[in-house]
Amino acid sequence: MPLTILNNQLGGVPPKAKDRVFDRKGKKPEHYYRDQLFELEEKGELVVHRIAEEQDAVEIETKYGRKKKVPRDMTWHHKSCGQCGHIPGYSTSIFWLLRELGYTYEDPRDQTSCTAWNYYASSTSNPAAQAAVALRNFAQAYEDGYYPIIHCGTSYGHYKEVREELIHHPKLRDQTKRVMDKLGKPMVFPEEIVHYSEWVHVMRDAIAEHQTLDFSDITVTVHPACHYHKLVVEDAVYDKELYDGQRTAVVSSLVKALGANLADYSTWHDCCGFGFRHILVSRDFSRSFATIRKIERMKEEANPDVTLTHDTGCVTTLDKSQFAAKAHGRNVGIPVMSDAQFAALAMGAHPYKICQLHWHGVDNRPLMEKMGIDHEAAWTEFEEIAAKVKSGEIEYMSWEDC
Amino acid sequence: MEHNPILVIGAGPAGLEAARGAADLGYKTLLVEKAPVLGGNPILADYAAITPDMENAERAMKRMIDAIIEDPLVEVRSETTVTAAAGDAPEITVTLAGPKGEEQITVGSVIVCTGFQHFDPGRETQMYGYYEYDDVITLVDCERMLKAENFVQPSTGDKPKRVCFIQCVGSRDRQIGNFWCSKVCCGIACKEAIEIREMVPDCQVFVFYIDMRMYGFWEDEIYWKAQEDHKVNFIRGIVTEITKRGDQVVIKGEDTTMGRPVEVPMDVVILSVGMEPSEGTTETAEIFQMPLESHGFIETVGGALNTVTTARPGCFAAGASTGPADLEDSISMAGAAVMKAAGFLRKHTLAASKSV
Repeated sequence: MPLTILNNQLGGVPPKAKDRVFDRKGKKPEHYYRDQLFELEEKGELVVHRIAEEQDAVEIETKYGRKKKVPRDMTWHHKSCGQCGHIPGYSTSIFWLLRELGYTYEDPRDQTSCTAWNYYASSTSNPAAQAAVALRNFAQAYEDGYYPIIHCGTSYGHYKEVREELIHHPKLRDQTKRVMDKLGKPMVFPEEIVHYSEWVHVMRDAIAEHQTLDFSDITVTVHPACHYHKLVVEDAVYDKELYDGQRTAVVSSLVKALGANLADYSTWHDCCGFGFRHILVSRDFSRSFATIRKIERMKEEANPDVTLTHDTGCVTTLDKSQFAAKAHGRNVGIPVMSDAQFAALAMGAHPYKICQLHWHGVDNRPLMEKMGIDHEAAWTEFEEIAAKVKSGEIEYMSWEDC
Repeated sequence: MEHNPILVIGAGPAGLEAARGAADLGYKTLLVEKAPVLGGNPILADYAAITPDMENAERAMKRMIDAIIEDPLVEVRSETTVTAAAGDAPEITVTLAGPKGEEQITVGSVIVCTGFQHFDPGRETQMYGYYEYDDVITLVDCERMLKAENFVQPSTGDKPKRVCFIQCVGSRDRQIGNFWCSKVCCGIACKEAIEIREMVPDCQVFVFYIDMRMYGFWEDEIYWKAQEDHKVNFIRGIVTEITKRGDQVVIKGEDTTMGRPVEVPMDVVILSVGMEPSEGTTETAEIFQMPLESHGFIETVGGALNTVTTARPGCFAAGASTGPADLEDSISMAGAAVMKAAGFLRKHTLAASKSV
């Protein structure tokens, strides 16, 4: 029997990274929260909100290979406090995409804040209050007949933590049930907690089919949100075609689908600087981190035309920290927006009426010019509508004005 | 005494030792190996030297192979797998699939030595970039370079100046479901660190660890030796991320002794990947209906005092098919399994002769 050496090629030097092929296999986690939720449902402790056939779901792969269902239609939109307050074009762009692509959605007017920002900043609240807020919103979606989609990375991450707590702590379930009984609402938990950027991810090819602008000259860096891919990591979406399945696929997949240049930088895994507690109690640290660790690195290593992210805090911190660094003559000046705004622009959305880029801190007009958008004409149109609001001719801008 | 042969599945260190032991006791043995060569991971993954002796792995495995290859009591089938099993020991009919097609053979007892597979760092929770950066490699990749006596920075082919090991990659990790310590990675990292220092004397070597698990003699024979004789730097700290800056990979994490973040450029980063049940272990357990224990390895039912007996009478398991195991464990278990298998066959043969 010869003792053949099979593998020792190339003088023992390992293959280059590009030649290493990742094939997800091996032991998978044995317990999934979905099974545990269904067990609780069987015991009569809660109702699991299933993704129905009319919600036209697509299955995609998560970090450890589990298939996650992402509904495309009949979605209930859990908005973000920070988006509505600081980046209104963020939510508007999501709704515009839904409308343009022909999907039905519910934009609830009675949704409450998840209150998780203060929870993460160690400022307020307690587990029962947190869980009750989550279940109250989920119950509302269930009663409305739509499936919840979460706009905010903070809410998305936090609701997944609430899920874990509820599954494992009977006392917390009892406390939460008492609150829900007072509200007259059922104990409901969705079978999947879905982030809007997962919806954008599954819609990326459809978005590309409706693309009206050429993005082939646009270089993009991506900041994945910590609360999306680092918190309850097993729910985040991965794709073998993107970074060999080693980084979350959302956002980056859209950049590729729209034909823009996806550029890498060394601090992609770092926080944007928001950090929850930091932005509240040590804001200068947040500003410095966002600009020195993130924006300047991107500028030096990739010099992108724009950086995209998929969370409220990340867009806000990366965008609105740059003015301070600019005042100190630092190497900053990268426009920041969400994947939804980028997708809407690609499909011809109005940069001010829909994407509301005038709320952003960094001058994004050079980017628009590179994208082929006549921002001066667009601004004139926007001012005409604003004048009508000012004169009282119309109360507010509506979809018909867009 | 006439008996059906003892079937040994897997020709790694444990399987080779089991076959040798069974033959030494005078039992006919059928050794089945799915690879075209014998020797298991030390050969298939090109180990340079075995831990802790530092003996050349190829030479050590050749010695084990030579011990059985000419033995008339041992029949070796390479490129062969067991695809089915029917009946109970000492009359188990197994179906073998090999180069000459399928064949059914009746065996008296079975010793499973199907071993482990190295953890794929693509499934790691931390961002180690194995599939992104040429200069991030595994213990196994390092072994290959050491065996070829060519330890270089893979991206450039140059001799590296700064190399680090990151421990517990794929081990002791609840997130990915690998709750166990893989036992050998600390020792192997120390062994490789020594070899690198000997091969590239100008290269600084660091080991980032949670805690170094150097049981028994490994403590002074490898760990202290690495520190004191070879000046390997051990840093208690957790590395969570590897990125690239310029031509260098940069490790980021926390030095938990100093209580501060670290961000250090390295020429080569070596991931100390742990053990998982091999596909062969999982498949063999299913074929023989041997229950798996909670971590996914073959369950043995005798507790600490009997480490090789499975729930299936007459079927035994040894080495890393039952859980993380070093070579010392594997070889000792193989001996114990042979003793149990021989005892099982002997009792049945004696019982049969008495009934006649």
